Amino acid sequence: MKKLFWSALIVLSSIGVIAIIWRLSVGMKITALSSTVSWGMWVAFYIYFIGLSAGSFLFSTLIYVFGIHKLEKAGKMALISALFALLGGMLFVWMDLGHPWRFWRILTNWNYRSVLAWETLFYVFYITVVGLEIYHLMKFDFYNLAQKCSGWKKSIYNFLTLGFRVPDDPQQLEAMQHKTMKTVKLLGIIGIPIAIGVHGGTGALFAVVAAKPYWFGPIFPIIFIVSALVSGAALSTFLYAFFGEKDDKDYLDIVKALANYLVLFIGIDVLLMFSEFSVNLYAGLPDHSRVLHQILFGSYSYIFWVGQLFLGIILPIILIALKKNDPKWLGAAGLSAVIGIIAVRLNLVIPAYILPALKGLDKAYQDPRWSYFYFPSIGEWITTVGAIAIIITGFAVAWRFLPIFDHSNVTGLVGAGSTGGVEHGKR
Amino acid sequence: MSEKNETLVTPQEEVKDSRLGFLKKISSGVFASLLLPAVLKTKQIQAAEQDGVEISLPEQKDDEDVILRMMREIQRALAKPVEERHWAMVIDLRKCVGCRACTVSCIAENKLPPGVVYRPVMEEEIGTYPNVTRTYLPRPCLHCSKPPCTPVCPVRATYKRKDGIVVIDYEKCIGCRYCVTACPYGARSFDFGEFYTNNTPQIESYEMQADFEYGREWKRDGKKSPVNNARKCHFCLHRIEKGLLPQCVVTCIGRATYFGDVNDKESIISELIGRPNVMRLKEELGTEPNCYYLV
Repeated sequence: MKKLFWSALIVLSSIGVIAIIWRLSVGMKITALSSTVSWGMWVAFYIYFIGLSAGSFLFSTLIYVFGIHKLEKAGKMALISALFALLGGMLFVWMDLGHPWRFWRILTNWNYRSVLAWETLFYVFYITVVGLEIYHLMKFDFYNLAQKCSGWKKSIYNFLTLGFRVPDDPQQLEAMQHKTMKTVKLLGIIGIPIAIGVHGGTGALFAVVAAKPYWFGPIFPIIFIVSALVSGAALSTFLYAFFGEKDDKDYLDIVKALANYLVLFIGIDVLLMFSEFSVNLYAGLPDHSRVLHQILFGSYSYIFWVGQLFLGIILPIILIALKKNDPKWLGAAGLSAVIGIIAVRLNLVIPAYILPALKGLDKAYQDPRWSYFYFPSIGEWITTVGAIAIIITGFAVAWRFLPIFDHSNVTGLVGAGSTGGVEHGKR
Repeated sequence: MSEKNETLVTPQEEVKDSRLGFLKKISSGVFASLLLPAVLKTKQIQAAEQDGVEISLPEQKDDEDVILRMMREIQRALAKPVEERHWAMVIDLRKCVGCRACTVSCIAENKLPPGVVYRPVMEEEIGTYPNVTRTYLPRPCLHCSKPPCTPVCPVRATYKRKDGIVVIDYEKCIGCRYCVTACPYGARSFDFGEFYTNNTPQIESYEMQADFEYGREWKRDGKKSPVNNARKCHFCLHRIEKGLLPQCVVTCIGRATYFGDVNDKESIISELIGRPNVMRLKEELGTEPNCYYLV
């Protein structure tokens, strides 16, 4: 089983690497995009991964900032997910650029009026914060692992410690661990507005476009943040239920707590979605309601009914309600929501393009690159599957070699930072 | 014409004569604009960045073709510093017959590939037979005074010039297509690097010809700019700066498209903008387009 998993990943990611090289050498020609439908599946997956990342990170702050001890054992896992999901998002948006090798100009030729430019800056800050937080949480483990291992592993772990040394004196060690948790908490506090900026900002990217009434409006960034929380909680539930520490005495409690957060976030998400759909359909302004009609009853309505509604909302809630004490089913609920959110992302991006900007513009010029119909090309599918495989491979390697479930050092010290008292740091 | 004929002009001949005169006038204007690029290309090398190249126009007459009048106005505007010019376009929809000469000539002038179109013409049928009319609405870039497409650009590759023209710096553009999405008029296209003769035995050489947007040579070569860039109408900036009218204005068979400097109160464009039947597209968005329609 394990062998099958790894070989499938390696085959798919090699296809991904080849497909991305092909994409880079041929250009945007390989997509089914047009001058009218200018953003497609890659952008949907870009916001999907950014959402997963921001959601996982915000989830981790429940632990490291708000001191929810119960979930602490899933903390490092959430942060590692946040890191790799962000890298996934970056990969997708980079691939989507017409001139990918000019991407650095966003930083050197920065435009303070562009939401996209701000976003890029946020991603840089965000990746720094997440990276630092992971480092601080794991530096003790890295050091210990470096002592235990030999060969290339030793040098990698040694490198990861960045010169950090665990002191021999236990008292000194404990003080240092408390100090570290304070730093982690501080990073988490700094990270909250950045993570909200990262995903709320990604929502704002769309929400500020007055040309697309479907996107335009203040509720859109909020929907992004809430659906990010849904996907973050769902991913954590799924990962911890299936790959977490099944022997741990808290295992079931943690999975259950994660699933409960998932239900809570889905509830808020449904509320926002209902508001968005009901208000706009009732008012019936054509620019907005016609898009919603397409989502609900158009040729791609299965994305809404099967993906967004059934997989994203109904199935997870049913599973969590009926199989409260079965971690397998709770994990399946998480997986279902993780997949359902893909449908949410597709429906956030693509339907905005179905209406021509001006009456008759769709018929004013005939060309496949001027089409209002969009279905991803084979090239887009292959690169998408390949890029996802690359991200999962990276994540799986990190999962295999990083001390994600090593609780020997800083676990149990959450909340200690706020009082600074050593006595609070129970083991 | 001989003296004898002149004295014996019949009414019919007079009509013929004025028609001939009319054709002559048109052809002189059209010819000037068609021939000059070739003449200027050699000049361009010597004075590439020099504005306001003097073009000798025929002597001014009271009843001259509007093309000639607009060319004189362009020359007048080019004599001023760039920030004192304010280019704008007026399209008289009552005169537009929907021939698409503007669409096609623009594609020819800027060597536009498939999927890239700067000036499509929209068609609408109003009413039911027998009470039915058909309207045509050409849509260049409207060069908004408050363009929604420029602030979204993360790399400042697209911006509004001092003379009002919204341009794209192809060399800076990263091809993120945010501007394409942000334009409420669908005036931006993306160059996917396609050819009309794709899937034929060979890509024809006329498709490989360089275009001269923004006054420099852009060779169509693989993925190099402008391929994989956003592209849009620029009022034929490269032509204006040489004293020529935008190609769509010149080729409009009904003289339905006007172009000029709004800051010049004597210009035909200023006259037309003051008419009561003038309108702009999607005023409610506050973009303040610089392309006006007479309805």
